[in-house]
Amino acid sequence: MIPIAYWRNRKVYTRMVGSKCKDCDAEFFPPVRICKKCGSRNMEEKEMPRSGSLLAYTKLSEPAQEFKEYAPIYLGLIRLDNGVNIISMIADADEEKLKAGARVQATVRKWAEDGKEGLVYYGYKFRVSQ
Amino acid sequence: MEGQDPEMSRVFIRSASALPVSEYWAKSLADLMTDAAIKAIDAAGVEKVDKIIVGNMMSGYANHQEHLGALLASSLGMRGVEAMKVEAACGSGGAAVHEGYLSVKSGEYENVLVVGVEKMKDMDTPKATKALAMAESSDFTQAVGASFISLNALLMRLYMNSYNIEEELMDYFPVIAHKNAVTSPHAQYRKAITIEDVRRSQVIADPIRLLSSAPSGDGAAAVVLSAKEGSVEILSSEIATNDLIVAQREEPLRFLATEFAFKRAMQKSGISLQDIDFIEVHDAFPVVASLALEAMGISKKGKAPQDAANGRFNMGSELPILTFGGLKARGHPVGATGAYQIAEAFMQLAGTAGQNQVNGAKVGVTHNVGGVDTTAVIHTLRRVE
Ligand SMILES: [Zn+2]
Repeated sequence: MIPIAYWRNRKVYTRMVGSKCKDCDAEFFPPVRICKKCGSRNMEEKEMPRSGSLLAYTKLSEPAQEFKEYAPIYLGLIRLDNGVNIISMIADADEEKLKAGARVQATVRKWAEDGKEGLVYYGYKFRVSQ
Repeated sequence: MEGQDPEMSRVFIRSASALPVSEYWAKSLADLMTDAAIKAIDAAGVEKVDKIIVGNMMSGYANHQEHLGALLASSLGMRGVEAMKVEAACGSGGAAVHEGYLSVKSGEYENVLVVGVEKMKDMDTPKATKALAMAESSDFTQAVGASFISLNALLMRLYMNSYNIEEELMDYFPVIAHKNAVTSPHAQYRKAITIEDVRRSQVIADPIRLLSSAPSGDGAAAVVLSAKEGSVEILSSEIATNDLIVAQREEPLRFLATEFAFKRAMQKSGISLQDIDFIEVHDAFPVVASLALEAMGISKKGKAPQDAANGRFNMGSELPILTFGGLKARGHPVGATGAYQIAEAFMQLAGTAGQNQVNGAKVGVTHNVGGVDTTAVIHTLRRVE
């Protein structure tokens, strides 16, 4: 993680701020500058709903270096309740409950840290809600 | 050619070279591309090279080296020559050939040397995983822990769920690749494997296993493109892109970049699907090969794995793929892969493919991808009679 990039994106990482098109109402996450549906540049910030359904998941045994100490990590492709897809780490993963269609809820958890003396990065993770 | 602008040159491949994909502990990035370049230049029979294009994805991060155009030109002692690097993630090699093609076609350059190179074994596995993830968004994909293989794993799961496909059926792609690699002189893994071998191999990102994912390695391949007639002609070269962030695609199982590039390449080449004698498809993972073949209209939606299982893509069959082992068994030194595919298509069409020869091959297609179908590069090539 690049510390200044984390600071720039903190709204996206913690509050899941994406975009909404003022012309066609399409919503996007992460934020986009130009609407992918109608091409409008007339976009506003929009917080995403914090719940959705799991489409697919994977258990990753060899993550990239800044996540290697947390291996294995679970990642989900999730359809939020507004129809927007998001890829997120899954917290408190229990493979019994990780089924396509499972209801999931966003929470804020630790993502990674830059060694013992560096920054600690927090952001959204999803967990199965029942 | 019909509709050919008389000002534009036709583009021929004069020669090709492909170093065995391997772990070159004793060689540098510069050594690899110089070795491949010298072989291609010596076989090309041209007086001088007017331009050098290097395809490479990750040399800055992996080898602490950029400026590869000048590095190669210096190493070749070609003071004064134009040279640069082209990058499009794992599609860098194909993109470099595309730029070489346009240079010759424009009439501004007679002979262009294109080299694809990657030296991944200077990195340990977590670092290589990070390097590959750079094909997707730093801020929004890498940040949430998603590696490149995990994106493909999610896509594979979605594909199998959507079309009700058993995991085992996906494994025919690595089996085909390894079978063809046994007699492939530049392949990294010249060993046949079975479906059972794939099933028994370690799970890396469920459902992707060690033997269903392309390995990392070091390698370089080169071609000399020329306006002067050679044994193979490039008929068309097209690049298209799709959303960088896979999660933002409305239809994640649709390979739009491949669709666009393939459609344009076929139109410009004047060939039809029935004319194609072999395809070097980008088989980084079985789901990528499947979705690509479906995007090209070669297999019906959700049917590519069954076509593979039925033997449709085997050597000697209707439409051979991965004729020297593909990414899975020839190896996938990422930024070099697209150049390897062109070198392999050259050998097939020039009739120098040895034991891997597709008999009577007249027309071939290469398909090289950066990211998850984020960039797709298609080349159509024909034998010059
Ligand atoms: Zn819009």
